[in-house]
Amino acid sequence: MSAAAETALLRAPWWLKRHETLLAIILAVALVGLGAFNDRFLTLDNLLNQGRLMTEIGLIALPMTFVIITGGIDLSVGAIVGLSAVMLGYAWKTFAFPLPLAIVFALFVGGLAGFVNGFVITRVKVPPLIMTIATLALYRGLAEGVSQAHSVRGYPEAFYVLGQGDVLGAPTQLLILIVLIVVAGVALDRTTFGRALYAIGSNETAARFSALAVDRAKLVVYTLSGLASGLAAVVLVSRVTTTRMDMGMGYELDVIAAVVLGGTSIFGGAGTIWGTVIGLVMIQLLKNGLALTGVKGDATIVVIGAALIVSVLIASSLQRRRE
Amino acid sequence: MKARYLLTTAAAACALTAFATDANAAGKWDGGDDLATSPLECGTGAAAPGAPMKYDGGQPTHAPNKAGKAITVVDVPKLIGIGYFNATSKGIQDAAKEIGNVKAKTDGPTEAKIDEQIKFIDNSITSGVDGILFAANDPVAIAPVLKKALSKGIHVVGYDANATPGAREWFVNQSPFNGIAKAMVDAMAKETGEDGSFAIVTSTFTTPNQARWIAEMQAYAAKCHPKLQWLETVEAQEDNNLSFNQATTLINKYGDKLKGLFGMTSVATPASAEAVTKAGQCGKVAVVGLATPNAMKPYVHSGCVKSVVLWNPIDLGYAATYVMRAAVDGKLEPGDTSVEAGKLGKLNVINGSEILLGAPFIYDKANIDTFDF
Repeated sequence: MSAAAETALLRAPWWLKRHETLLAIILAVALVGLGAFNDRFLTLDNLLNQGRLMTEIGLIALPMTFVIITGGIDLSVGAIVGLSAVMLGYAWKTFAFPLPLAIVFALFVGGLAGFVNGFVITRVKVPPLIMTIATLALYRGLAEGVSQAHSVRGYPEAFYVLGQGDVLGAPTQLLILIVLIVVAGVALDRTTFGRALYAIGSNETAARFSALAVDRAKLVVYTLSGLASGLAAVVLVSRVTTTRMDMGMGYELDVIAAVVLGGTSIFGGAGTIWGTVIGLVMIQLLKNGLALTGVKGDATIVVIGAALIVSVLIASSLQRRRE
Repeated sequence: MKARYLLTTAAAACALTAFATDANAAGKWDGGDDLATSPLECGTGAAAPGAPMKYDGGQPTHAPNKAGKAITVVDVPKLIGIGYFNATSKGIQDAAKEIGNVKAKTDGPTEAKIDEQIKFIDNSITSGVDGILFAANDPVAIAPVLKKALSKGIHVVGYDANATPGAREWFVNQSPFNGIAKAMVDAMAKETGEDGSFAIVTSTFTTPNQARWIAEMQAYAAKCHPKLQWLETVEAQEDNNLSFNQATTLINKYGDKLKGLFGMTSVATPASAEAVTKAGQCGKVAVVGLATPNAMKPYVHSGCVKSVVLWNPIDLGYAATYVMRAAVDGKLEPGDTSVEAGKLGKLNVINGSEILLGAPFIYDKANIDTFDF
């Protein structure tokens, strides 16, 4: 970066120096660039369709932002997606629950799985990394055991509205995601609960001495993480019309990539929902845009990896400049 | 206090796992599916031809008429970067070159994941190809995106692993499931004796082809080799190391009781043969399985493996491309009973909307060196 550009950056208003703004600018440039290469990329149809495909990851990325802001991590989300999906199929087929009740049951199982994570992490003081690696294996194993590796198929047509249908011209699940983005953003920015998460992530001991309910806040964020994974499972089952025990495998990495790309510090204490949303959109549209431009799948992953590294470099250099 | 919480959690986990294991239905080989089976006749008798079925595929809506014109085709296999799908991809390229007016590209996920595969197909639809060739990771999960392709006037032909019939026009069937099952079980019974006991190394219990084969193998064994004894099925993904470790574990666990191993994937079979070789059990533990010839040559030559069952994957990709071209040209329409496929000659239509490549091929010491893939 030249000296002139550097002083320009220093004089720029504060909001321009934020990681999210910078990321949004990079995103816009990338979109226009890819759009110039391919006339099928920047069409409303394609963008809405990409919105549909990224919803499951997006739903989980919201509470994952909370979890990472508190200085924790949840690696079991992909396994919870698998477990909730299996439970949805199991409740509907084997217990013969009506479908709405089966959906509630799947959400409950997701929430419970998250609650167990939070409970052991706060009460037994097991580090989140270790606890959620353990439950990653445990929940996936349960999903396989309960389902006996059999798929459940043949859900009623009406259920597919959620994963394949449109409401007001937009994919149903995308609308759900947008509502939840607003709710999560407001909760993090404008409520005492949100402030408490930052306080815990910055300095947990100080937060405890400030009489913040640290354990309760953590319990809530891990439960939310499980609940969102359960919701993602329901959306995914509706989108692909079948239940499989290997659903959601590897989701944890996609989710964490979106959150971290969005500027949330892996050490806790910093991050925003808006950043996560930009990170999420960026990964999805980069993958899509590159594929449409004729770049093959394996090369696309390389580009995504490079984008992650560059963005983290930019973020940390900005951080140093501020300090 | 802390210990109590830990204990409670551990106990709960154990209880849940035990509950899950109890649900295991007795009498069925693990890793098989629940669909109806149709075991072939015992012995060497020819298979009775199935009753003709009405066409049950799906048709593209308002497909542009590209008969005789250049078309772009994208091939989305289960995953890329393994020998088997490299071979199908080669067959596709061979056929494309031979036909002349077909431009084909293979682009798929690096892991056999259904949602990744769906995204690849979705992107191909948006980028506006004329045809999609696929090998499904899940027959039902892939259906919505394939139906979307059909609704946009794109021709859809499957090979290797099928989707629900209404979601594609044609499916090139490498070999009927019951044919493979018969070849595998007959070979095992011949090598271990009629009362041998064996274990199975598969990819995962949900992988559709493997699950179908295992179910058909059980049905055929029950009918024709009732004294063969199944010990266990283990999952090894399509992972070389894991397959080797799982096979070694089976050898150590069952000792002299284990007389044979079935490898259900092109990865599991050579890995099982390697495990048997390393354990010094050649001749005592038979390995029968699906695999590509190149990977099996060392074991076949050393005498550790007597027979390898497979079709020719290059021919499979080749046939799929010819079927695609014929479908676009209107030379293969619902109700037709055969299709011309270049050097393979005339292939027959079976089960309504499937094109049969042929009977499974058995590679042995005498012929394995004539194949290179």
